[in-house]
Amino acid sequence: MSTPIQRVVVVGNGIAGLTAADTLRNVGFDGKLTIVGDETHAAYSRPALSKALLLDGDDMSSHELPPTTHGATELLGVRATGLDVDRRLVTLDDGAALPYDRVVLATGSRARRLSDLPEELTLRGLDDALALRKRLAGRPSVVVVGGGPLGMEIASGCLTAGCQVTLVSQGVPLILQLGPYLAEVFGKAALERGLTIVETGSARLDRRGGEAQVVLDDGVVLEAELVVTAVGDVPNMEWLADTGLADQGVVQVDSRGLVRPEIAAVGDLAAFPTPYGLRRIPLWSSAVEQAKVAAAALVRGDDTPPLQFQPYFWTEQFGLSLKAVGYLPLDGEPTYVEGGPGGPALMRWSHDDGSGAAVALNHRIPIPRLRRVSQMAG
Amino acid sequence: MRIVLDRPRCEGHGLCEEAAPDLMHLDDDGELVLDREEISDADSALANAAVRVCPVAALRLV
Repeated sequence: MSTPIQRVVVVGNGIAGLTAADTLRNVGFDGKLTIVGDETHAAYSRPALSKALLLDGDDMSSHELPPTTHGATELLGVRATGLDVDRRLVTLDDGAALPYDRVVLATGSRARRLSDLPEELTLRGLDDALALRKRLAGRPSVVVVGGGPLGMEIASGCLTAGCQVTLVSQGVPLILQLGPYLAEVFGKAALERGLTIVETGSARLDRRGGEAQVVLDDGVVLEAELVVTAVGDVPNMEWLADTGLADQGVVQVDSRGLVRPEIAAVGDLAAFPTPYGLRRIPLWSSAVEQAKVAAAALVRGDDTPPLQFQPYFWTEQFGLSLKAVGYLPLDGEPTYVEGGPGGPALMRWSHDDGSGAAVALNHRIPIPRLRRVSQMAG
Repeated sequence: MRIVLDRPRCEGHGLCEEAAPDLMHLDDDGELVLDREEISDADSALANAAVRVCPVAALRLV
């Protein structure tokens, strides 16, 4: 770090970019800081979009975050179109080019779609959530495609809004993300609340009249007034196409979130070292922890302790609230540390590699305690 | 500077305690306890980190 750092550009105004900006200030960077965000909204909490924001009657503020304190120049409603790593420039879709000494790549990901049909709704950004919330007020019949946590949260929200809801899932809902034991707990709660679950090998969208319909692998057609898909996310990498930094659809970073000494990548587009190899972990706490380490490393280099991340995941759906620490999914049966099946419970699983995971179900427990339980000898 | 908790919003995740264990903790019932509400300049970075990490924005600095 021979030359002083005068200009840092953070590309992306989600929680990863925001945390990077905060951290840059915390570690003493007092130069020109610029944040670029492609949405016109102030940064918000994405996890809230598929939870409280869909459910609440009057409270439309569950996604709002406190005002920023980093004092950056915020360029909102502007998209980055390119990165010139040799000349150290971020180019924007309004024609501007921002020079940098250090840059943070935090453009996140977008919803993977099954079609180009405008009738296919997805839930990724605040505008998506507001649009969905508005549609739910008319209590349409709904088909949700996608049996992951997001699809299940959306289905739960639609049921609570009074809609008739069918969930289309590749295999048992949540089994890939949570493992068979918890998938069964959530599946049972969903059925009890009136969700119709259809398992299929694959699904595609078609259009008939003015409405989308879902065609399953056996030819069965599901019709609904509202079709929402939640079938994964795709990192926003197009603007990095000519940089050599894009590899297999992600940006691969080291244990400090760096691609090069002057380039960090954090959040949903970054694959970082984990016990299971380089991985994207598109979760709130992952974005926060990655950003803290990477922003510090941009300023302090190797003096920054590397990322030591243990995933934290939570979901609220069908009357169940789950908090999990450790790597998911979970095989086999848990040990019940507190409570038991069917009630509030604290559970523990041991992985084959000796690490553990702790899960609280309808049980209010602080994360530090969950972490301790996950680390108990199995 | 003072840290303020909006208790109805708090979901008891405890990410704030991880960010600033000297300033706050969750008790045995998972309720957040602010151990220090007045924040000195020396602690402002920690307090900011605790406020920022909350996914439901239950904390704010005034």
